Amino acid sequence: MDSSPLVLTLASIILASTPLIIAVCGEILTERSGIVNLSLDGTMLMSAMTGFVVAFETDNVWLGFLGAMGVGAFFAFIVAFGSIRLRQSQFAIGFVLTLLGDDLSAFLGQNYTRIPGPVVQHYAIPILKDIPIIGPIFFNQNVIVYFAYILVFVTWFWLFRTQPGLRLRSAGDRPEAGFARGVGINFQRYLYTIIGGGLVGVAGASYSLNIKIGWAEGLTRGFGWIALAIVIFGGWSPIRGMFGALLFGATKALATYLQRTFPEVSVVAFNAIPWVLMILVLLLVGSDFTERVITVAPKSLRRPLQRFLKISPPQALGSTFVED
Amino acid sequence: MQDFFIRYPRVWRAFDILLPFLATLAALGVGAVLLMVFDANPIVAYGALLDGAFGSTNAVADTLVKATPLLLVALGICIAFRGGVINIGGEGQLVLGAVTATLVGLALPDMSGYLLIPIALIVGFLAGGFWGAIPGLLKAYFNVNEILSTIMMNAIAVQGMNYLLRGPMIDPVQLDAASRIPQTARLSAAFDLPRLVPTRLHLGTALAVIAAFLVFIFLWRTVVGYRIRAVGLNASASRYAGINVPRNIVLAIALSGAFCGLAGAIQVYGLHHRMFTDGSATGFTGSAGFNGIVVALFGQLHPLGAIPASFLFGALIVGANKLQRVMQVPSSFIIALNGLVVVFVVSADYWRRRIARRREAEVVSEEIATSEAEVPT
Repeated sequence: MDSSPLVLTLASIILASTPLIIAVCGEILTERSGIVNLSLDGTMLMSAMTGFVVAFETDNVWLGFLGAMGVGAFFAFIVAFGSIRLRQSQFAIGFVLTLLGDDLSAFLGQNYTRIPGPVVQHYAIPILKDIPIIGPIFFNQNVIVYFAYILVFVTWFWLFRTQPGLRLRSAGDRPEAGFARGVGINFQRYLYTIIGGGLVGVAGASYSLNIKIGWAEGLTRGFGWIALAIVIFGGWSPIRGMFGALLFGATKALATYLQRTFPEVSVVAFNAIPWVLMILVLLLVGSDFTERVITVAPKSLRRPLQRFLKISPPQALGSTFVED
Repeated sequence: MQDFFIRYPRVWRAFDILLPFLATLAALGVGAVLLMVFDANPIVAYGALLDGAFGSTNAVADTLVKATPLLLVALGICIAFRGGVINIGGEGQLVLGAVTATLVGLALPDMSGYLLIPIALIVGFLAGGFWGAIPGLLKAYFNVNEILSTIMMNAIAVQGMNYLLRGPMIDPVQLDAASRIPQTARLSAAFDLPRLVPTRLHLGTALAVIAAFLVFIFLWRTVVGYRIRAVGLNASASRYAGINVPRNIVLAIALSGAFCGLAGAIQVYGLHHRMFTDGSATGFTGSAGFNGIVVALFGQLHPLGAIPASFLFGALIVGANKLQRVMQVPSSFIIALNGLVVVFVVSADYWRRRIARRREAEVVSEEIATSEAEVPT
């Protein structure tokens, strides 16, 4: 039972979704403070490369993660500095960094491609792993996976249940009001952009040290954009973002499964499924479809449904704030 | 330094125009340090780069050929950015334009070239526009973020291209040879865009330059172009002025995609004469859909500014190949160099604006001083 194909598939979906979950949490922190870090795709490539190279040279996985975190934080700092201090378009800077990260990682990592290196050790949590079905799916993984789930909870708690979280959200939602209350808006934005970037760095390294072990050019290409889409799908909430990441992992697994079952249908159709699905999801989230669902729902369900389906971005997202 | 420019406005104006090029030189300076880190002599390396880009008639022609798709994509990006939409779907739109234009050429092999080439280019133009209109409609009417939707449209276009080139459109010769390289048959030689001089330079380059002037006229001398720019500057003010904002958003990004599609069609008919893939979009496009954005930013989002900008980037890319051969450094070094150039140009632009602001402030304060002096009389 515990090693049945279904359980193994579910466990692999959980494992494959971890980097996305970590990156989504990081980007949510950044965007909730009012800054869009569009460089995710490039940052993840750079940090995946750095993480592997550092871990390979020092033979220590955790130093690899630390290095990747530093690279992610540095890229995020450029975005924050460019938009706050230099008042350039966040989107332009983020996009240029995406291209730069892609090429720079290929350039700097060229001597480290396709060689075996250190990996995150498997660590099953003692008692919990023996719970039937749930155990092998959730608790027979490694530390990074557990970290991702703790991170989701911590991010949610920090954002919605603490005072610093309130200050952070004020920077993204009502910077003027927050500033009048004595919140250093731009300090908040620097802080959470850099923290968010650090987490994206961890996400990148967990590809090269945990999932797609090793480094190759373009290792994580595309995943940064998916993470950005999941942030929107998740309505800037870590818990919904986590479900978004799992859903994406599930569609990918489903595509692989269907491909094996129907070999006569072109591979391409299945490869395109996740992307088409993402567009449909963005469409559902963006249109007033959800509002209509709420109005037809029975009265008692409306309020919880509204709380669950309602999505609105931080209101000052992407705008600059001048303190004076 | 700033005070100097404020005092001598004429020197400043000359400096202003040269600034992007000075920034480029500064970026090359940083690149020289990088080269030294990799044990390469920067002078020899840049010599090779210049030689590769401008060293002979063929080199210049190659630079122009490389600049052509960059210019066309940049024109599209200008329209989109002026209309307030960010089109990152250039790669996918380029692929779609190229595939449809190739289909036209393969389907009608006996047609006269004079008739078929214009038809194929128009089909590519329309196909790119169609692929751009989808994210445009999604943004204008369903509030879907266009950055993300265009990225996803890229991925879908690439999958479609791979399917067509490995299946229905594959060259029959490849099918027989069992090597199955995913590419179409060569289009009839009657459909080649005319060469301008005995090099690889083709008519497409001239078309692109003409298109740049047309886009300039469109954006600044027509009502539709004015509306697009108005929506980009201030959507809510435009709405109050009676401009149909969603329609102009769709139009801006559709036109943007159309120029990318045209770039794809011209790549097929002017340069490759067939469509091929290496599994990703880059194999065919050479990342022109992304680099075009950089070119447009470099040209300060002005269609005419995009002409020299695309030439410069074309030279950098062509020179890179030579530099790579001579110095044995990876060509991705040059693309990293492109990134450096952009960072420098953007920060130089910031510096320029700051000086402009200060100059304005001083002129205003002088006017106040003179008007106050006049009050007592």
